[in-house]
Amino acid sequence: MEATVIIIFVIGYLLIALEHPIKVNKSATAIVTGVLCWTIYALVSETPTEQILDHLAAHFGEISEILFFLLGAMTIVELVDGYEGFRIITDRIKTKNAKKLLWIICTITFFLSAILDNLTTAIVMVSLVRRLVPSRDMRLFFVGMIVIAANAGGAWSPIGDVTTTMLWIGGQISTVNIIKTLILPSIVCMVVPLLYLQFTLKGELGDANQSTEGAENNVHGSHAPVKGAKTMLFLGVGGLIAVPFFKTVTHLPPYVGMLLSLGIIWIVSELMNPHLSEREKKRYTAAGALGRIDVASVLFFLGILLAVAALQSMGLLHRFAAYLAETIGDNRVIITLIGILSAVVDNVPLVAASMGMYSLADFPTDNMIWEYLAYCAGTGGSILIIGSAAGVAVMGMEKIDFIWYLKKISLLAFLGYFAGAIVYLIIYPYLAVHP
Amino acid sequence: METVIIIVFVIGYLAIALEHSIKINKTASAILTGVICWTLFAVASPSESILGSSQFATFLEGLKLDLADKFSTLGQHELYIRFVGSELSHHLAQISEILFFLMGAMTIVELVDAHHGFRFITDRIKTENAKSLLWIICWVTFFLSSVLDNLTTAIVMVSLIRKLIPNKDMRLFFAGMIVIAANAGGAWTPIGDVTTTMLWIGGQISTLSIMKVMFIPSVICMLTPLVYLSFTLKGEIGKASDSATKSKAADVGGGLLMLILGIGALMSVPIFKTLTHLPPYIGMLFGLGILWVVSELIHPELDEAVKKNYTAAGALSRIDVPSVLFFLGILLAVGSLESMLTLEHFAEYLAHTIGDNRIIITLIGLLSAIVDNVPLVAASMGMYSLDVYPMDHLIWEYLAYCAGTGGSILIIGSAAGVAVMGMEKIDFMWYTKKISLIAMMGYFGGAAAYLFIEHLLGKN
Repeated sequence: MEATVIIIFVIGYLLIALEHPIKVNKSATAIVTGVLCWTIYALVSETPTEQILDHLAAHFGEISEILFFLLGAMTIVELVDGYEGFRIITDRIKTKNAKKLLWIICTITFFLSAILDNLTTAIVMVSLVRRLVPSRDMRLFFVGMIVIAANAGGAWSPIGDVTTTMLWIGGQISTVNIIKTLILPSIVCMVVPLLYLQFTLKGELGDANQSTEGAENNVHGSHAPVKGAKTMLFLGVGGLIAVPFFKTVTHLPPYVGMLLSLGIIWIVSELMNPHLSEREKKRYTAAGALGRIDVASVLFFLGILLAVAALQSMGLLHRFAAYLAETIGDNRVIITLIGILSAVVDNVPLVAASMGMYSLADFPTDNMIWEYLAYCAGTGGSILIIGSAAGVAVMGMEKIDFIWYLKKISLLAFLGYFAGAIVYLIIYPYLAVHP
Repeated sequence: METVIIIVFVIGYLAIALEHSIKINKTASAILTGVICWTLFAVASPSESILGSSQFATFLEGLKLDLADKFSTLGQHELYIRFVGSELSHHLAQISEILFFLMGAMTIVELVDAHHGFRFITDRIKTENAKSLLWIICWVTFFLSSVLDNLTTAIVMVSLIRKLIPNKDMRLFFAGMIVIAANAGGAWTPIGDVTTTMLWIGGQISTLSIMKVMFIPSVICMLTPLVYLSFTLKGEIGKASDSATKSKAADVGGGLLMLILGIGALMSVPIFKTLTHLPPYIGMLFGLGILWVVSELIHPELDEAVKKNYTAAGALSRIDVPSVLFFLGILLAVGSLESMLTLEHFAEYLAHTIGDNRIIITLIGLLSAIVDNVPLVAASMGMYSLDVYPMDHLIWEYLAYCAGTGGSILIIGSAAGVAVMGMEKIDFMWYTKKISLIAMMGYFGGAAAYLFIEHLLGKN
């Protein structure tokens, strides 16, 4: 049975990777893969049905938290975008130089992603880049770098990334220490690919005026721009930044805070333009924004996370990690490999499995392996576009091809990943609490 | 704090009901209500009744097992916070099962519709007479809902009447009756409705007995409003205008295939559940996944942009996502009342002050129009023990009827109602004015019929 499930998982993964040649939407494949894995597990396994259902319910609960968080974040960003709120930032960036712009965008992404989650940051930044870089060929490189910068920026802050947050909440790492030890490796992880592109990137940003007007016509038709862009930008970004604070104060999961922000912004968006008729108003409210977001990518997440959860419930991930420990031995090598593996499977279950593999008794808080795990699982996902939440979201928004990313960005991300890893392994004896 | 949360809940409810007067989308109100209720619950200082409840004790035992020796280091506040967190994640998992089920069903139906699949059914219905059409629709809904769940039935039937009844004013009455018929049809079979299924699985009712005694009350619950509308309903079903047909996407073929696959997928959800024991949403997603793949493959000749309209990706962008979030908000809010034991206390309060079980259960049915019927039935199942009230006792059967049909009285009282509201943009107040009264007549009509039948059969 285990072999069957693994085969289905691998086939599913291949079909997702080959989405464009076979012309089947990746969400469809992901859903069928996830469902099939569980169905076979439920039908064939000797594990009691009760226990399988308990596992499924627990995983599904966690998955839903991620999905509603995602739905909320995407809607807020889409709403701000509908008001042209991001123009307030983009209008300030005057440079026409592609390389300079790339540095600016990456730096903003890096620090934004340390506060917001990687996913939201990537969504915000990609909407920005859409306005700033009209040439699609050029824009794809920007988008690829945003994925790398968002993942790198998330790794060094406890609230910046799901896996770092997991380690933080679990008591494996502490706030000050993780920032101190990981900020330099994270910066290196982003700067290495950036330097490479500095020398190789060719091309123009494209003619901004023409296509911006085109985009404006698409969004607004013949309507005069509505007021409230600035309010919505502040509320939107404020609402997103408030989520970690909300979590700290109430101890409720992040999606609750996200829904609170969404609810408030929704009401403001309804009251913002009282002079408009119902029909005209709808496109400037959250209801309209919900109609524009990519719901299919939410279902993609659901499918893929369900599939990984099945592997995890069957103990396959755990056993794989144990097998690695036996054959390889050196924790640093194993964790480096886990990071690379996180480009293929979701990093959340990987980190969860690792947290179960190593006990806090043997490896206390702020031990090297936890910090290194936070770095590797956080940044290794950039190597493939489907390796991180940010990548998947961006793939949906910009219709990036899996293969294109593999050809143009993966190698860069790989270089950054290793450079940062080496920097960490060099500096941690000088900084870490438990060398 | 409990009082404050109840006040927030009531205000949120009023805001939802008065959506159009205050001009705030009901989804925003529902989300905020749910979130604020949980926030207050989480930051409150724990009340004695929660710390002393059996739920809290069970939670502590589980936590003790998980944490082993670390458990003793936790203070009471920490324990309370973890308790709230575990209650919330428990609710979210249950709510999400409903929401993804709803999304799956809506997308499948939308996909069939995009291929003009329902034409094959609607073309067969020739009647132009509104009243005879209403009778046909209601009976089909009634029996469909006894096999499928109420939610799926309502979604399919509303898609059908969209094709059959171009006149929007008239269609709203049909949509209202579909809600009533779907809920009534679900009450008399063990698999027709979540609450009946709960009682069936819990061993409170048995299949044959519930079908035997509940069929007539359920029929009366639907017939009373139907007869009333037969005398009062005025208006035409309207003519399909050419422009309306043209503005719709062109017919690209594959309609019959998608119809058969779609209906097949919906019908096989209960079978899938029986075979695998996995929750229904998994079966629904399976069906959606297969239809999605087929929809991508049957139009190789179309280019990407056009094709998207005929795939599930396109269908997903047309379904009403706000009503999914609306449901999330409302169910989260009710979940907080459940976790604070407010619902349980209220049911116990009713039991103590009133005494007669029949009146209590009638009131629980009415209450299920306001809050979700699942926690109400769960609370009732905990309130009455099987030792005192054995299987197929009057109170269990009557509870199945009341909780199943009472939700029709308000549009947001049942899952079917919420789905229909989203699809047809039915206003809360419109439903309250035009449908609630006749739904209530049906509810009491069926209730009286049940109690009369029980009297004849000589139970209790």
